[in-house]
Amino acid sequence: MQATKSFEQAFLKQMLLGIQLSAVSHGSGSLQERKSAIKLSADVAMAVARGSKKWTRGLIASLSKEEHNRSFLQFVLGKEFERPAKICHSSWKIPRSKNIVRRSLRFLSKRKSNIRAPNSSVLAGTLVEKRTQVLKRLVPGGQSMDAFSLLDETLDYATCLRAQVDVMQKLMTTLEASKHRADSDAQRPKEKFHLLAMVGSWYSTRKGLRKRLSKRPKLTL
Amino acid sequence: MSSRGSSSRITDEEINELVSKLQSLLPESRRRNIGRASASKLLKETCSYIKSLHRDVDDLSDRLSALMATMDANSPQADIIRSLLRS
Repeated sequence: MQATKSFEQAFLKQMLLGIQLSAVSHGSGSLQERKSAIKLSADVAMAVARGSKKWTRGLIASLSKEEHNRSFLQFVLGKEFERPAKICHSSWKIPRSKNIVRRSLRFLSKRKSNIRAPNSSVLAGTLVEKRTQVLKRLVPGGQSMDAFSLLDETLDYATCLRAQVDVMQKLMTTLEASKHRADSDAQRPKEKFHLLAMVGSWYSTRKGLRKRLSKRPKLTL
Repeated sequence: MSSRGSSSRITDEEINELVSKLQSLLPESRRRNIGRASASKLLKETCSYIKSLHRDVDDLSDRLSALMATMDANSPQADIIRSLLRS
């Protein structure tokens, strides 16, 4: 599965804006601080670019639990952040969700081959439940999801994570290449153009370009 | 909130579809470990895949912060970032 190009573009732009913002406020912090700032920008950018999903809300909620993230989140999200967020109702357990897990995921074990040990479906159920718990911890906001939502959100989340990694990798490669070029004076334009081509559709017409230059990008969740 | 709340019935087709989508999400190398429709293996590989993506993001954040530390306003990298933001 591939994330859409528009998601990657929105993510890249949002992340760079966030990094700029952190650079202004933190300036010359420690390497560890700068790394956290970049990671924070990347995660917020991913959530903002995706829009409203259970995992994006869960991600913002868990990020905002850390005091030092609050001012950044406030600035980037504005009104959206101040609104009383529907945080994970971890204390609000759906009694039937456990049955849904067993039913929907035991369904999967039944699709296995006919040659099986008699007790394997019970074992499969336990192992499946254990691993479902692990998945719930990995996916933001997962704790309060039923099995179906969990699988659905996992798909979406993993796709966006993959795109996040790809874009950050491309950015790295581009910056590194230009650094080498500056250091050694060798010509390495390929990576830069690759990245610029990715955002190239922003420049569809000259008219459009002039219009866009005069507009500030809107940040919405 | 969700139209598929615990009260409504989740069809087998929907589950089927999700499972096959999850399988296709995983990169080829991980898909080979699973075999056909083994729920616990699918979950295991999915969890492991997400964890490795988390590690990648962490590692890239490290490297990007080191790289950007050497950037100043006049460097070509800063130019690249400016051109990426200009739209």
